[in-house]
Amino acid sequence: MKIKKVDQFQKILLLIIIIYSILVSIKNPAFLHFETIFDIIRTSSTTMIVAIGLLVVMISGGIDVSFMAIALFGSYTTINVMIALGIDNLGIAFLFSGMIGIGLGLINALLINWLKLPPFIITLGTQNLYHGVMTTFISDKSFGAGVLPECLHEFGQGTIFKIVTEDGAVGLTISLVPVLLIGIATWLILYKTMIGRGIVAIGNDEESARRAGFNPFKIRLFVYAYSGFLAGIMGIIYVAQINALYPNKLVGNELMVVAAVVIGGTKITGGQGKIFGTILGVTIIYLLNSTLILIGLSSSWNNLFVGAILVVSVAITSYQERIKNRSHLIFTE
Amino acid sequence: MKKIREYMNRDLNLSILVTLTFAIFITLRIIIGPSLLSLNNIQSMLFQVPEFGFLALAMMLSNMVGGIDLSIIANANTVAIFTAYVLNGQLSFGTDGAARIILALIFAIVCSLLFGSFNGILISKTSAPPLIATLGTMTLFQGIGMAVTGGASVGDLIPEFSMIAKAKLLELPVIFWIFLGAAVIVGLVLTYTSFGRNFYLYGGNPVAARFSGIHNEKMCISTFLLTGLLAGIAGIIILSRVNSAKVGYGDSYLLQTMIVCVVGGIDPNGGKGKVQGVVIAILLMQVMSSAFTIMSLSPYTKKLIWGIMLVCVLGLNHIIGNYSEYKKLKMSMKAKA
Repeated sequence: MKIKKVDQFQKILLLIIIIYSILVSIKNPAFLHFETIFDIIRTSSTTMIVAIGLLVVMISGGIDVSFMAIALFGSYTTINVMIALGIDNLGIAFLFSGMIGIGLGLINALLINWLKLPPFIITLGTQNLYHGVMTTFISDKSFGAGVLPECLHEFGQGTIFKIVTEDGAVGLTISLVPVLLIGIATWLILYKTMIGRGIVAIGNDEESARRAGFNPFKIRLFVYAYSGFLAGIMGIIYVAQINALYPNKLVGNELMVVAAVVIGGTKITGGQGKIFGTILGVTIIYLLNSTLILIGLSSSWNNLFVGAILVVSVAITSYQERIKNRSHLIFTE
Repeated sequence: MKKIREYMNRDLNLSILVTLTFAIFITLRIIIGPSLLSLNNIQSMLFQVPEFGFLALAMMLSNMVGGIDLSIIANANTVAIFTAYVLNGQLSFGTDGAARIILALIFAIVCSLLFGSFNGILISKTSAPPLIATLGTMTLFQGIGMAVTGGASVGDLIPEFSMIAKAKLLELPVIFWIFLGAAVIVGLVLTYTSFGRNFYLYGGNPVAARFSGIHNEKMCISTFLLTGLLAGIAGIIILSRVNSAKVGYGDSYLLQTMIVCVVGGIDPNGGKGKVQGVVIAILLMQVMSSAFTIMSLSPYTKKLIWGIMLVCVLGLNHIIGNYSEYKKLKMSMKAKA
C-alpha cells in the first residue's frame, strides 16, 4: 500500500503547530502537562466532527453555515423527547439526532438546488429559520445536569485510558472515538466510492461532472445530508461534554469552523481539500484559543492571530491557483 | 390603466416591493393602531435607520459585484473604536472642541478607507473569493479591535460629538438626511456615470468585462474602497448614537443587511439591482423591526421571522424571474410570427 503523501501546505501547517508548541512550552512548561493537552483534544473533538462535514460540503463547491443550528436542533429536540419519555439510551440519542440532521440537511440541499443562489445566503437563512423554529415551537428552556439522561453524563465523562499524574488521574476523552470513526468513514467515502469521486468532480466543474455522468442534484443531496448527519451527532456529544442543555449555545460559532477548514487548505470554490488538513486547521485554532493565556497574552488577542493566519492562508492558496490558471490562460474573473 | 400596467411591468421587482411595503404597512397599522404612525415613533425609527442603512448600502455594493463583504460590521466597530480614542482625548494630539471632532472624522474616514483597500487589494491581487477573504479580514479587524480594547467599551467622549446624532432638520434627524444624500449619490453614480456602467458589467460577467477593456483589479479595489467607506460612516453614526464603541456591536445586522439586499431586488450572483429598491427595503425592515419591538416579540421569534423572510423572498424572486423570462420568450416568439 502506498503511504499517503503529506503535501506542501500541510507540512507548513504542521511546522507552525510544532514551532508554536515548542515556543509555548519554553515560555510556560505547564503546557506540556497531559491535562492541558487532553483538554485541548476534548474541546476540539466536537468541532472536528462538524469541520469534517463542512469539508465534504466545501469540496463539492458549496458552503454550509447552518450546521450549528442543525446540531442544536437535533440534540435539543432529541434530548427533550428523551426526557419527556424517560428514555435512557445513547444509541437512540445518536440515531434520532442524526436523522433530524439528515432531514434538515436535505431541506438545505433542495433549496440550494431549486434557487440556484450562493449556498452561503441560503444556509444563512435556514440557520436562522431552524433556530427560530426550534426555540419558538419546541421549547426555549434550559436543562441542568440533573434532568439529562444518565447515559449522556456517562458518555461525557468517559475516557479511553487514564494517566496518573501528581495532580490526580487525567483521561483521554472517549469523544475521540467518534471523531476517528467519522474521519475514516469520510476518507473511505471520498476516496473509495463513486459518490466521493462525484463530490470532487462537481466541486471542480459541475458541467463537466454532469457530462461525465454524475448527477449533481443527487450528489448535493448526499453532501448536505451528510453534513447534517454529522452535525446531529456532534450536537449530542457536545451536550454530553458540557452536561447541560441550552437553547442558545453553538449557534454563532459557524464562521470559526469555516475559518478552520479554510486554514486547512480547502479551496472554497471546490474540488480540493484534505481531511488531515482540516484536522490541522481545527488544531491550530484550538491551540491558539487555549494557550494564549499560557504565554501571557489575554484571550482578546485570539481573533487577531486567527484572522492573520486565515488571511495569509487564503492569500497563498488563491494566489497559487491564480498563477496556475493564468499560465493555462484560464480567466475566472 | 394600461399605462400603469406598462409602467409596472417595466420594473416588476420594484413594483412588487412597493405594493408589499404598503400592504405590510397597512397590516401593521391595523394590528398596532395609530401609535405606529405618530410623529414620535416615526422620528425614533428614522434615528435608527442610518446606521443600518449605511451597512446595507455597503453590503449592496459588494453583492452587486457578485461578492459579499462579511467584514462591514467589524470594520464599522473597529473604526468606531479608533475614533472614540481620538474623541476621548487619548489620541487627540492636543486638539479640542470642534477641531477634535474634525480630526476624529478625518481619522475615521482614513481608517475605513484603509480597511476597505486592504479587502480590495487582497481580493483583486490574489483572486481570493470575496466570501472567504472577507471572513478572514472580518476576524482580523475584530481582532485588532479586541486587542486594542481588550473587549471593554470605549466611552468618555466629548459631549459635542453626540449632537451629530441628535440634531434635527425639518423635524427629521440630520443623520437620516445624510443617509438619503448618500443613497442618492450612490444611485446617481451607478446609473449615470461610466464608472456605474462598468460596475454593472463587472458584476454581471467579470470575464467579459476584462476582455472589453475594463481594468478588473481597479474595479474591485474601488468597489471595496466604497464598501469600506460606507461601513466606516456607519461606524461614526453608531459611535455618535451610542456614545461608546465596542467590539461585537450589531452582529445581528449581518443577516438583516443580506435580507434587505435580497428584498430590494439585488441579485446575489451580481450585476443586477437598483439603489431605490434597497432604500425602500431598508425602510420596510425598520418599520417591521419597530413593530416587533412594540409587540415585544422574543429575539428567537424575530430570528424565525427573518429566516422565513429570507428564504421566502429568495423563492419568490426565483419564481418571478422564471415568469418574466417566460414572458420575454413569448413576446419574442410573437414578434417573429
